[in-house]
Amino acid sequence: MKKSKVVVVSLVALMLAMTSALTGCGSSKKTEDTSSETKGEVMWWGWTPGSPTNEKYIAEFNKEYPDIKVTWKQTSIDAYDAALKPALANGKGVDAFEVSAGSGNGGIQVFGGQAIDLTDAVKKALGEDYKDKLNEASITTMTVNGQLKALGVGTVYSGNLWINKDLFDKYNVKIPTNLAEWKAACEIFEKNGIYGFVQGAGQGAFNIDTFHAIADNVSPGNFTKATRGEIQWSDDSIVKALELWKGLFDDGIMQKGALGLQQYPEANNLFMSQKAAMVMMGSWYTSNALPDAMKSAIESAASKEEPFTMIPIQFPDIAGTGNTGSMFGDLDYSTAVSATSSNMKAATTFAVWLGTSQSGQQIIADSLNVVPSLKTATPDWDNVKLVNPEQQNEPIKKYLENAMNSGDNPRFGGINADMNQALMDVLAGVAGGTITPSNGAAQLAKTQADSE
Amino acid sequence: MKNNYTSRSTAMNGLPWILPAFIFVAGLIYYSIFYTFKLSTLDWNGLDPIQTTVGMNNYDKAISDWIFWKAIKNTVVFFLVTFFIQNFLGFIFAAILHSDVKLATLHKCLIFIPTILAPATMAPVFRLLFSPQGMLQDLFDTLHLGITVDWLASPDSALLILMIVTVWQFTGMSFILYYAAMSQIDKEMLEASHLDGAGKFRALLSIVLPNCKSTTVSLAMLGIIGALKTFDVPYLITTGGPNHATEFLGTYIFKQGIRQSHLGYAAAISVMLLLLAICGAILINRANKGGEK
Repeated sequence: MKKSKVVVVSLVALMLAMTSALTGCGSSKKTEDTSSETKGEVMWWGWTPGSPTNEKYIAEFNKEYPDIKVTWKQTSIDAYDAALKPALANGKGVDAFEVSAGSGNGGIQVFGGQAIDLTDAVKKALGEDYKDKLNEASITTMTVNGQLKALGVGTVYSGNLWINKDLFDKYNVKIPTNLAEWKAACEIFEKNGIYGFVQGAGQGAFNIDTFHAIADNVSPGNFTKATRGEIQWSDDSIVKALELWKGLFDDGIMQKGALGLQQYPEANNLFMSQKAAMVMMGSWYTSNALPDAMKSAIESAASKEEPFTMIPIQFPDIAGTGNTGSMFGDLDYSTAVSATSSNMKAATTFAVWLGTSQSGQQIIADSLNVVPSLKTATPDWDNVKLVNPEQQNEPIKKYLENAMNSGDNPRFGGINADMNQALMDVLAGVAGGTITPSNGAAQLAKTQADSE
Repeated sequence: MKNNYTSRSTAMNGLPWILPAFIFVAGLIYYSIFYTFKLSTLDWNGLDPIQTTVGMNNYDKAISDWIFWKAIKNTVVFFLVTFFIQNFLGFIFAAILHSDVKLATLHKCLIFIPTILAPATMAPVFRLLFSPQGMLQDLFDTLHLGITVDWLASPDSALLILMIVTVWQFTGMSFILYYAAMSQIDKEMLEASHLDGAGKFRALLSIVLPNCKSTTVSLAMLGIIGALKTFDVPYLITTGGPNHATEFLGTYIFKQGIRQSHLGYAAAISVMLLLLAICGAILINRANKGGEK
């Protein structure tokens, strides 16, 4: 064989060997758990609620477990899956991680395979009747193939608007209860140089919330039925809801350029800097009624305004059906423990404490960020001080009660990733005028059929 | 013949010296390509232990996926527009700065600075600039022009905004390469053209431009590959919206692979992107060689 051929053959052989070696590197190895139930170092990944709230939870946890060091690792909501997947595949640097029900970021159906079964740990903490003590959704939506893959921390609900009550009082605007009042309110605010209603319609998940609220206004429960295949997405009520959705853009309720705006940070910042009077946000927004959280949100919006009175209101009856007050919710986030963690026992202690203990769930309740999973934990209203208690306490208490009694109406829990994308595409297309409502509904029906 | 043998022999003797680095680099690159191709034959979410082999189904899916074709169309339009505008501007700036211009160094810096700025830094600025709450809107309102800056919200104008941002950012690169190419042109050739009666514009078209041909070809090749790989500017400014109006292959691969967990489908589009990039590079190379003959 010629010398050149020998070199070429050797090169190919070496490259194949290199490829094989690298393939070998990709296979995960079992790691040894070096922690105990009371000692260890836990790296906790998540996207919500963010600093400083997570650090407060950790400080409370450390009062009971001083030898478990928990480090909060936060990514943005959009970057979470992209950051977590390689970290979990690598098997290092992730001990506890947040997951969600449904098709949003951190979906349990995708990440559940990397988590351990927490059933025994919960039984140990709450007893055999643990299911009676926790929010039903915190068990059912986190159970994959019979294994409890994560523990729900709390539930969030949507379906309502938040309004700046101070601005409504200042300009003497009636709180809208129907389409005509909503348009009138927006017009008054516009005349005064303020956005009436603001939505970051460029961030699709929040469009689904608004559309769900409209669909429930048209015909309660039909949105959920469509997600479950019990009615077709091409049903007349869904087409009607898409027409009303389009109307929000045509009638001047949605601010100009809404499709180019993100809900976070842009729409949120407009509301927090008092440049907009209404926004479509859910129960997670309740924490902004706390003075410290609101100050922080206002500063993040690059505003120097003082905290203001924000209250939740029902989604206006734009369909004219009288079907109002619908709310829909899912577990906001749950804590899973990585199957390849070298601090598995300590991470389990933390996940169980956060999701099931009275002390862990009480701080969750008092932060007003989510509705806690443990049924006995409710906000301690003597301890929780709002910006304007006189005007906020009653509406917010009623709002949270209404949310908890919303029944079987999941937010994203019943929507798979393909339907989620299809909903975002159709809603953006209908709003932008590139898809008609009936074609959009047909497109949703086709995606549902394909994804089944 | 003897010379050929000698040069081949010299090359073979040099091979062992580069072998370790060559194996490492080639191993990594080819491993990644082979692995991506393998992934493209799977239905897999990237984490699940169960991987289902689906053969070429992911490629079939791409062929009938309107968003994939929309991304291709956007890529072609994006390449053609940005390539011609940024190279035209880069060429003109380079020619101007080769003449006697005051503060030439300052001008060079000003033209080149956008190239070194990270898109992640500039994206929020452009989002604000082209937002209805932004600086441009304030300017229009002050001038009472009655224009609403909602261009990022419109499928018709959002792609144009991305092209403006790209031209702003990469004209400096074209400029610097043309500037270097023009420095290599023999001054006697230009003087001879003047003696023959050619004006400055004529000399620019008939002497300077042909002598910069290899630079134009390189920029075209970089432009095609860059357009196919475009991710950061559309993702950070429009996230591919509204309704996929600014979708590119890179952003679509990310959405499919990460957000929707269709890793196999994302890998299939990646393989197609690779093939398109290779085809584009070959076409431009051939066109260049054809022109030389």
